[in-house]
Amino acid sequence: MAISDVNPFVEPPRGPNMFAQITDNVTRIAEVDKPPRAWYIAFGFAQLVLLMFLSSLGYVVWNGIGAWGNMMPVAWGFPIVNFVFWIGIGHAGTLISAILFLLRQNWRTAINRFAEAMTIFAVVCAGVFPGVHIGRPWLPYYMMPIPNQMDMWPQFRSPLEWDIFAVSTYATVSILFWYMGMIPDFATFRDRATTTVRRVAYGIVAMGWRGSSRQWHRYERAYLILAALATPLVLSVHSVVSFDFATAQLPGWHTTIFPPYFVAGAIFGGFAMVVVLAVPARQFFGLKRIITIRHLELMNKIIIATGLLVGYSYGMEFFIAWYSGGKYEQFTFVNRAFGPYAWAYWTMISCNVLIPQLHWFKAIRTNPWTTLAIGLFVNVGMWFERFVIICTSLTRDFLPSSWGYFIPTPVDYMTLGGSFGLFFTLFLLFCRYLPMVAMSEVKAFSPAAHAAHAHAGEHAHVPAPSHAEPAAALES
Amino acid sequence: MSSIDKKKTSLRVLSQAQAQAPARAAEGSDTQKPTYWRSLAELEQSPEFLELASREFAMPLDQEPPNSPGRRRFMQIMGASMSLAGLDACRWREDKILPLSRRPEGMIPGSSRPFATAMEINGLAVGLHAMSYDGRPIKIEGNPQHPDSRGAAAAFHQASVLGLYDPDRSESVVARAGGARKESSWAEFQKTLSDLSTGLRSARGSGLCVLSERSSSPTLLAQKQRLLDTYPEAKWVTFEPTQSDGARAGSVLAFGKAHRVHYAFDAARVVLTLDADVVAPTFPAGLANARALTRLRTPERGQMSRIYAVESDQSLVAGLSDHRLAVRSSWIKAIAAELDARISAKVNALPELGAPQAAPAAAFLKDEKVQKFVSALLGDLLLSPNIGRSVIAVGPNQPAEVHALGYRLNQLLGNVGRTVFFTEDSDAADTSDVAALKSLVAEMNAGKVSTLVMLGGNPVYDAPADLSFSDALGKVKTSIHLALYEDETSERSSIHLPAAHYLESWGDARSLDGTISIVQPLIAPLYGGRTASELLAMLLGVGNPNGLELVRRTHPSLSAEHVWRKTLSEGVIAGSGVQRVAPKLKPLDKFPLSDFELSSKGVELVFATDAKIIDGRFANNAWLQELPETFSKLSWDNAVLISPRTAQELGVKEADSVTLTLAGRSVSLLALIAPGHADGSLKITLGHGRKSAGHVGGLVAESIDPVGGNAYAIRTSDAYQIAQGVGVTSNGTVPYRVPSTQDVYSVGAIGLSGTAERLPELVREGTLEEYKKKPDFVEEIVEHNPLLSLWVPPVSYEGHKWGMSIDLNKCIGCSACVTACQAENNIPVVGKLNVAMGREMLWLRVDRYYKGPPEDAEVAFQPIPCQQCENAPCEQVCPVGATMHSHEGLNDMIYNRCIGTRYCSNNCPYKVRRFNYFNYNLDTIGITPYTPTDDPKAKVKAMIFNPEVTVRSRGVMEKCTFCVQRIQNTKIKAKNAKRAIPDNEIRTACQQTCPTDAIVFGDLNDGRSRVASLQKQPRSYALLGELNNHPRVQYLARIKNPNPALAPAQEPKKEHG
Repeated sequence: MAISDVNPFVEPPRGPNMFAQITDNVTRIAEVDKPPRAWYIAFGFAQLVLLMFLSSLGYVVWNGIGAWGNMMPVAWGFPIVNFVFWIGIGHAGTLISAILFLLRQNWRTAINRFAEAMTIFAVVCAGVFPGVHIGRPWLPYYMMPIPNQMDMWPQFRSPLEWDIFAVSTYATVSILFWYMGMIPDFATFRDRATTTVRRVAYGIVAMGWRGSSRQWHRYERAYLILAALATPLVLSVHSVVSFDFATAQLPGWHTTIFPPYFVAGAIFGGFAMVVVLAVPARQFFGLKRIITIRHLELMNKIIIATGLLVGYSYGMEFFIAWYSGGKYEQFTFVNRAFGPYAWAYWTMISCNVLIPQLHWFKAIRTNPWTTLAIGLFVNVGMWFERFVIICTSLTRDFLPSSWGYFIPTPVDYMTLGGSFGLFFTLFLLFCRYLPMVAMSEVKAFSPAAHAAHAHAGEHAHVPAPSHAEPAAALES
Repeated sequence: MSSIDKKKTSLRVLSQAQAQAPARAAEGSDTQKPTYWRSLAELEQSPEFLELASREFAMPLDQEPPNSPGRRRFMQIMGASMSLAGLDACRWREDKILPLSRRPEGMIPGSSRPFATAMEINGLAVGLHAMSYDGRPIKIEGNPQHPDSRGAAAAFHQASVLGLYDPDRSESVVARAGGARKESSWAEFQKTLSDLSTGLRSARGSGLCVLSERSSSPTLLAQKQRLLDTYPEAKWVTFEPTQSDGARAGSVLAFGKAHRVHYAFDAARVVLTLDADVVAPTFPAGLANARALTRLRTPERGQMSRIYAVESDQSLVAGLSDHRLAVRSSWIKAIAAELDARISAKVNALPELGAPQAAPAAAFLKDEKVQKFVSALLGDLLLSPNIGRSVIAVGPNQPAEVHALGYRLNQLLGNVGRTVFFTEDSDAADTSDVAALKSLVAEMNAGKVSTLVMLGGNPVYDAPADLSFSDALGKVKTSIHLALYEDETSERSSIHLPAAHYLESWGDARSLDGTISIVQPLIAPLYGGRTASELLAMLLGVGNPNGLELVRRTHPSLSAEHVWRKTLSEGVIAGSGVQRVAPKLKPLDKFPLSDFELSSKGVELVFATDAKIIDGRFANNAWLQELPETFSKLSWDNAVLISPRTAQELGVKEADSVTLTLAGRSVSLLALIAPGHADGSLKITLGHGRKSAGHVGGLVAESIDPVGGNAYAIRTSDAYQIAQGVGVTSNGTVPYRVPSTQDVYSVGAIGLSGTAERLPELVREGTLEEYKKKPDFVEEIVEHNPLLSLWVPPVSYEGHKWGMSIDLNKCIGCSACVTACQAENNIPVVGKLNVAMGREMLWLRVDRYYKGPPEDAEVAFQPIPCQQCENAPCEQVCPVGATMHSHEGLNDMIYNRCIGTRYCSNNCPYKVRRFNYFNYNLDTIGITPYTPTDDPKAKVKAMIFNPEVTVRSRGVMEKCTFCVQRIQNTKIKAKNAKRAIPDNEIRTACQQTCPTDAIVFGDLNDGRSRVASLQKQPRSYALLGELNNHPRVQYLARIKNPNPALAPAQEPKKEHG
């Protein structure tokens, strides 16, 4: 079958009832023989960008960190900005799946799967940087507490050491959570498989899921436990990442507001990334009936809320700098806003504080395309936030003699841009082969699941969801 | 079956066979005895033997339990055999060596020994100690016995050892004919020379001319005499591009004879420098002057000298001065005349001293600021306790009249014989170098010179542009150029001869006061170079001259072996200085003041000796090229310096490229705005923009761009020191980042106000009055909360506790310490681009700050090594423990552990950490311990490494270690000798070379050590001490001794509650 120019996903989903339609809506994306041309173009482009990423990293590893613009005093440049940026992106997923799950925010079911996927891919992107940004990228294992003949042991007072544990724990729990949530959907894929390869492959990852009541019971419990485990991680990871800066002595880094400020910023940026991915995905893959305007609106509301938190933090940093009476800190903040990097600061303020205020207008927050645009702005703003914190603070610290000016090299831009290649390659593969929406969970909250309920309708507010009737069982 | 399996099988088979062998022997014991036997027991087939042979293991396993000593011994033996086994795998290069059958006297392999030698520049020698490590010199230090060094050495002395191993040095005799280059040999040259000298002898030397660098070597001068005796018609011309004739001509003007002037700054209460950077290493006896001048800058003595500087550019002495007046260099003549007029009137000058100069009627002298300055200065000079206790020093760029006036003023003020001394300069020429070269060029052009022998120098590059030396050289039939490099002049000479580096040479040279030093070689010539005196000997018919013999013949008084050896080890011939004389002042004629010395029209251009590469001779020295210039902090370039106001008038912005035009010649280079520079005056340093210097300094033939702009291109013989009427056009911004290490880009209003706000805290300063009133005034400059810590210090610092004290009142910013540190610690060179990107590796930097309005800026220097904090921010954030606290309080770097997270640098408030962003050693040297090479050039370059210090590789952080290798070596020595380490025995490289003793290192636990007492002084403070880092380096605040008459209007001082 030739690659189609026509998008097969625009047709309404087929099926005798809502459950079947949901299944069809999600599974057809993975089951179509060959995805439409647009997917190939997007994937090919992502591959090219990924190639650029790998070649820029190869160049850096071969020649030395000097291929980037890092210098003295800005010893951390783009790589750490990118690391914190991607780690921040990787927050929304677990927040949606874990915290909103515990808070019984049922609307999350429509978006949690690919938000989680996004989380994991963002953590993968982030995880690349600490390893390659070090001067000797072949020795990152020196940071691991591995017993060795060299009599070496990590220095646990260093926040970088805390980072390793925070990020790796977060990555592990996120992957487990994501994978476990997919098991029922893998079973659906397996059951609908028309080829042996698909049946065996999905069969292995479905881990023998049969949808029995006992399995559902175990699943629900495990999901709840993992959600409870993941919840503190959402708050801890970025708090620990913020310790990299907050525990340092550098004016502009050395501040107690960083942990909550970083977490708020991470959720803010993460949700922005979710809408940036959700809007084209629902449009292209025909998921408009699952990811509705209402979902977008709710996410936009979170964006306003966290955006205000972030804006508050920006203001509070200035207040504390003034209130502390610390000469160096005061200078750092004046310099941030009006010094040589003022353009970066005001880019950050515009994108993170001013532009999201447009979401106060219902017309804007319910329009997918303005949502997308504002989400993009927020992502740009959040990248600049990290740039401002890291680079601007480092350029001018205590002794004016050591002040400098950081200018990125082309390799810096290649690495930054290229990391999106890795992200989108993984994301496009995810769209192609894995269940993009948590079918079983969506079905649980679909009106059809509560047909007997008095309030069954478009806005189902079922307080305690019970998977009395397993969706997968309905399907078969 | 794979081959590995096969091997295993065969091994197994073999071991079975072995195991069975004794058993079979046992079986057959009844019938036959073995033909070959292992022991008598086996031969006899004794029961004990059979019993042993039947056992699988010779010893029962439980016979000797692995108790502690046995196990240790086992580990020792295994360890030794393992390491020996490992050696098999090493690929030892096959080198043919002749082992020393007997150890030469005093040679201890693996330890460094100092050898006294001397380096001569511009006819003045500075005595040095060259540290030889296994036969190769790796570090230069000053010779404490030498009057012009006293243990100090300048940056260019320190860096000269790098020049020794420069692979760009010429390796063979080169003959050029019609543009074709042909490598030749000394033997062939000998043949050419004998043909030549036959002809020359018959012509009585007619047509022979020797063009020499300025030299005070008695050996060379004796040979010069011998040459002129042998070839009476021959000519000898001396030319040194950085030599100015003012001092000599001024002496002739004032005394009728050439004299050298010496200043005793340590006896002077008032010092006036007229365009004279008396403490600069390029100034005659500059290192000694620096030591003497700063001796009276210690407020603890209760009295300080007062220093006035009148100059056009910021000089090293400006940092020390209490008052400074920035005026054009060409106006200083008028100021000198004004001083003479007013002093003569006051001191009732005796009639035989001549009438005073007329008070010049110049507009700039009427300026309120200048008037105030001159009046205050006169008040100080004429104060009765200061009579005979002042010094007026005149700089080399000033014309003869100003020097003559300077001598006269010193005489009038009674200084001569008390703070100012004269010695006869018997070797002085009758004319200036330029005039001599001019007449030589005229003769060359007239075809009167058939043989030109150039002993060093590079006249094609550095002769005045109007002489067209290169064209004239083309008219000489045989031109012989002896030089370290095949440079611009070699390329236009018919024969190039490789010269010996001074560390490869026998020679001698005199210091400013005439003291003779012996130059002794540290190493045999690497490239077969010869010295100038050896070449002269060849010219005189000696086949294979012996440098040592030539020197020894010159000094018959040293002929006794023990005298000779003593002289060699001391480096100076005691008592060889020239006698001081009291020349009689002639009545000075009144000299006219020209227009430009009085008016403010146009701009002047001052040609200055480069502090790093002098006249261009060190252009290929990467250490010097990379060394940040004292004021502009520019490395790898030179710039024309312009005052802020003049820059505005000329339409030049910071870091523009400008074209300077002078009499139809032009040069383009970077322009930098220099705070405190005199308005209407531009300064450019000589020696840059070389086209055939080498792979470092520029090699156009191999597309390596020249470094900086060539000032010689516009320097003409009639505007030699100061040129008037220079045209300046700005070409806009330069297309590359300026390789500067401080203020890399314009700092902007916010940055300037932030700097101004914190500067009084960083570089603490007060006046002598304030200090006397309240010696601990520095404590009150920074207000901070009580410094508390969450935990007790983990180290108690028993034993030693190393610390350092840096006296900001003594630092002159000369940067000798920076190069000393680079040489001692194997610090790599990163190159122009990486410096521009802010990646210089220098462990020690000298920060330069300006104070006050830009047009009248005062300068302050602050050397910043690692502060070795006790509560170090860097140590806490390293995830791999690569920077750790030692029990003596050093922040030790463990390079092997470092993975390069660079967090330590981010957290260092002093930003003293340096990171290997690339494999700089591999890039520049071509070899590291991990990347062996067979490239001979890389091997020669690698000889510079100090074996005591790890050569860092790519991706690791490094920083100042307080020269931990020196500490450890001394500790080992003291321990072996079972003695304590006396104070001052361990000297860090920076401390050792500092000409002003501004840096003191020692043990803080030793209450009597200098560093401990200095850190207890009330003006001692910790930089950024309010951060609770407990730095081990403390600074002594700057104390100025301003003239109350020049004090700024007193602001009501805020009293601290």
